[in-house]
Amino acid sequence: MFIFNILRRNVLLCMALALALPTFVAAQSNGGTLKISHSTRIATLNPLSLSGPAEYPVIDMAYSGLTRIGPDSQPMPDLAKSWEGSPDATEFTFHLREGVTFHDGTPATSSDVVATYEAILNPDIPSSALSVLNMIDSVEAVDDLTVKFTLSSPFADFPTSTAHANARIISEEALSGDLTKLDTVVNGTGPFKMESYDSARVTRLVRNDNYFSEGKPYLDAVEMHLFPDLAAETTNFLSGDIDVMLLVQQADYARISSTSGINALRVPSGRYVNVVMRFDQPPFDNLKVREALAYAIDRQLLVDLVLEGLGRPGHDNILSPEFKFRIDTPKKNYDPAKAKALLAEAGYPDGISLDLVASNRPAIRAQVAIAIKQMALPAGFDIKVETMPHDTYIANVWKKGNFYMAYWGMQPTEDATFNLLLTSNASYEDTGWKNAKFDELVNAGRSTTIEAERAAAYSEAQELMLKELPYIIPFYEDVLTASKDHVKGYSINPINRYFYLENVWLEKE
Amino acid sequence: MPKAFRTAAGFTGIVLLSLVMTAAFFGPFMAPYDPQAFHPASRLEGPSFAHFLGTDQFGRDLLSRLLHGAPSTIFFGLGSTCIGVGVGSVIGVIAGTAGGWIDSVIMRVLDGLLAVPELLFTLLIVTFLGGGMGQAMLAVAVAFTPGMARIARSSVLSIRTREYVLAAIARGEPSHYVVLREVLPNAVGPIIVESSIRVAFAIMIGATLGFLGLGAQPPSTEWGLMVAEARQFMFRNAWTVAVPGVAIALAAMGFNLFGDALRDSLDPRQSQ
Amino acid sequence: MTLGYLVRRLLAVILVLIVVTFAVFAITMILPGNAAVMILGEYGTDEAVAALERRLGLDKSWYIQYFSWVKGILSGDFGQSLRLSLPVADVVGDAFLNSASLAGIALISVTIIAIPLGVLAAINRGTVADLVIGVFSYIGASMPEFVTATLLLLFLAGPALGLLPAGGFVALTESVGGFASHVILPATTLGLILTAHISRQVRSEMSEVLSSDYIRAARLKGLRERRVIRRHALPNSLAPAVAVISLDVGYLLGGIIVVEEIFAWPGLGRLLIYALENRDLPVIQAITLLLATVYALSNLISDIIIAILDPRVRYA
Repeated sequence: MFIFNILRRNVLLCMALALALPTFVAAQSNGGTLKISHSTRIATLNPLSLSGPAEYPVIDMAYSGLTRIGPDSQPMPDLAKSWEGSPDATEFTFHLREGVTFHDGTPATSSDVVATYEAILNPDIPSSALSVLNMIDSVEAVDDLTVKFTLSSPFADFPTSTAHANARIISEEALSGDLTKLDTVVNGTGPFKMESYDSARVTRLVRNDNYFSEGKPYLDAVEMHLFPDLAAETTNFLSGDIDVMLLVQQADYARISSTSGINALRVPSGRYVNVVMRFDQPPFDNLKVREALAYAIDRQLLVDLVLEGLGRPGHDNILSPEFKFRIDTPKKNYDPAKAKALLAEAGYPDGISLDLVASNRPAIRAQVAIAIKQMALPAGFDIKVETMPHDTYIANVWKKGNFYMAYWGMQPTEDATFNLLLTSNASYEDTGWKNAKFDELVNAGRSTTIEAERAAAYSEAQELMLKELPYIIPFYEDVLTASKDHVKGYSINPINRYFYLENVWLEKE
Repeated sequence: MPKAFRTAAGFTGIVLLSLVMTAAFFGPFMAPYDPQAFHPASRLEGPSFAHFLGTDQFGRDLLSRLLHGAPSTIFFGLGSTCIGVGVGSVIGVIAGTAGGWIDSVIMRVLDGLLAVPELLFTLLIVTFLGGGMGQAMLAVAVAFTPGMARIARSSVLSIRTREYVLAAIARGEPSHYVVLREVLPNAVGPIIVESSIRVAFAIMIGATLGFLGLGAQPPSTEWGLMVAEARQFMFRNAWTVAVPGVAIALAAMGFNLFGDALRDSLDPRQSQ
Repeated sequence: MTLGYLVRRLLAVILVLIVVTFAVFAITMILPGNAAVMILGEYGTDEAVAALERRLGLDKSWYIQYFSWVKGILSGDFGQSLRLSLPVADVVGDAFLNSASLAGIALISVTIIAIPLGVLAAINRGTVADLVIGVFSYIGASMPEFVTATLLLLFLAGPALGLLPAGGFVALTESVGGFASHVILPATTLGLILTAHISRQVRSEMSEVLSSDYIRAARLKGLRERRVIRRHALPNSLAPAVAVISLDVGYLLGGIIVVEEIFAWPGLGRLLIYALENRDLPVIQAITLLLATVYALSNLISDIIIAILDPRVRYA
């Protein structure tokens, strides 16, 4: 008995040590400044309307949303510690954390949440999150720490919408004042607060000692360094003292990942380039022409040439394999003969001449356009690529043009993806494909919380989309980033809007 | 051959120029491959038997692209200079021969336009016209016009007082005769010299605009655009950047040397 | 060189600036997109863009916009950057200092190097030294800045040698060494063409002066060659060199655009490209105004210097 007790005690002791060991080994060190390099300017700090790739990390550090998308692409608590939705998904109640303060010390309460959402819903205030939150009928502060949303139609993914990167909570005070101040003044509840902002060079944020997540952030400060020239940025990262390179170009990835001391990260993402073919104008009003083009594109070759292999071929499904309700998509192999036959059936036995417009931002649009031009040649497509400045494209071609290249990042849910572009009243609907059945299916998918029903609705929606072929989606681009070995805990979300920098720490030499 | 061209510099200029002009006229026909065709299996390779100057990121043959892009690059320089010189000379000759208040007004306007640095001027015009080779050429021509007008004008002014002109006027010849038969042929010299040097400059500006994305657009094979597109692959295959870059330099150098030799041969002071 | 002449020149400069800014303004109005469209990009619904245009004052008619801008300038207010939401004066001012330091260093180093080079070439005319300098000048004058910059990056800053940083900027106040190492490549790129031009000009002028009667007389007098060059030949050759330097200021103002972009130097050139892309009109206007003024003033100053240096011109 006695011996047994000793043994058991020893075993317990060993077990305790064993459990403690990993934590002991992985104990992070506090302090240090993380230097991040980026190549596009941080032009504004206004969380409502910013859209630059380097601006998202800044507001991810400085502001919190009600919820936030986690590394598993599911909504996780941020400013709200919990939430529940009514069974019919028309009412959602969020419970805020206690004792959270803005960087200036004022408490963050439900009135700030209400003010923020009212600003987002205000048609006179530009806000990028509106398209995923436009089903909100009313938002009210039940008490200081509780907010209730009433929706005009059921929406099961609402907590994902509140995690939208542009739906961060701003103080009521800031929203009642001059809104232009939001462009340069930051007062949020995030793990870091703004110290200095020089959009031409360095933006520096420092630790928020009152951050609501105990013990975090580990870093003392984060600096964002601007290098508008990609070659200079890469060379500087390799030989200088920058710790993280926010976005790595495909062309540099191999070189960077093979350099010792550097950890290159490649995250499969649903980011895509899509070829927009207008439904209500010839020649793409004819399904066979669209199908012909779909078979005149060598998707694997595009991945190899344009993405340097850092992506996955897509077969025109707007949802990438990461999405829960995605169906298996039949492959379309490169088949110029079949494409030619389809064109002939459509009434173009001698081929067809087309103008493909590609804006100059980002450069990948033009590269894909050029590759498509070459690949579609044997099928009888005579494509002329026309590039133009981005704002000319937005003013003259986008949502109006016949045939152009678009480029979209990954959305957090199937519903968001479909509602962004494909439903009849989508905010950025640009193909003229107004299909009532599709709308019905998407609506059905969002109105219920029963998985099986959602899966059925979304499957059918995808099949419809694949049959009608509003877009050609030749690949899904991986998100590429890199950090030095002494940077620990750095990860990036495939949606590329969430950076979890409060989890990062620097290993001391 | 004029004496000036017998120097090493003049001779090199002629050689380079001939190379460049041959490429400009016959380049596209001499290219071994279709400049746009992809050869994915041999992408980003250095020189090889199959591809004498290597390949780019799509596997396109660099030599073919270079030859194919010669007309765009060279004729851009020649075309924009010709337009600038043509329009500028006309304006300058008018100012120089008319004199009086016409001359004053034109001079003030020219001074005004010359106050804007050339590349800036070109950049502004091209941004607002939108990118593209035609727009860029127009922009460069417009930027060159004031300078050329000034040169034409001072050339005319210095000739106006020459004896043969005065003699023609004394003879009672009509003014258009004086201008066309006496003044212009002699004013042309400095204009031509300046033009050939300007072509070099125009080629460089055109390439710079292509580089900035404001000139030729993809998939054009204009040399400046080739350098811009190749920069991200610079460390994987330096040939993608070096080939068009050196070509631009050689073309500009050819015109520079030729222009200088021309100037030396026309200028009696320099004969040593 | 009378006061009246100076006043007239200055007035002409002002007139030019007015015309230039108006032209820039007019052209932007024709453009299809505007700053609001660029800011919101593809996330801009029609209402959002309209709202932003109202906020930025872009919905007013063009003459109202232009005149309110002019009014602002006259009282020292250059407005707000449309894209960056910061006062234009701050943004452009910082950029100007950075460009000025880069251009200044380039110009000074070039003058120190190019003039002696030209003199050397002229003195040793026809020898190997002359040839080498000549070849170098031609190559330098024929390479556009982006080619020079790219080649310099490739060889000196690339992973092979890694001698110098591949771009970026460290303020002088932070670290003199850092500033120096970051300024070398861009200044060299800018300086190459300048060196070529100036040394060739000096060479050609010097050669001419060296073979003139004036110099022959000095030599006949028995003066030593060095004294001849220093005291008699050099001053007479410098006037055209100054003229070339001032012309090259114009080239510098253009070259700086590409060089700053490639080397990520936060100056006016880079800012201009950014402003042009984003249709940030107040910034474009301010930079154009600034560059045109600098160019006009440098022309004026060089004319004055030439007049002082070269007595032949003074009395023309």
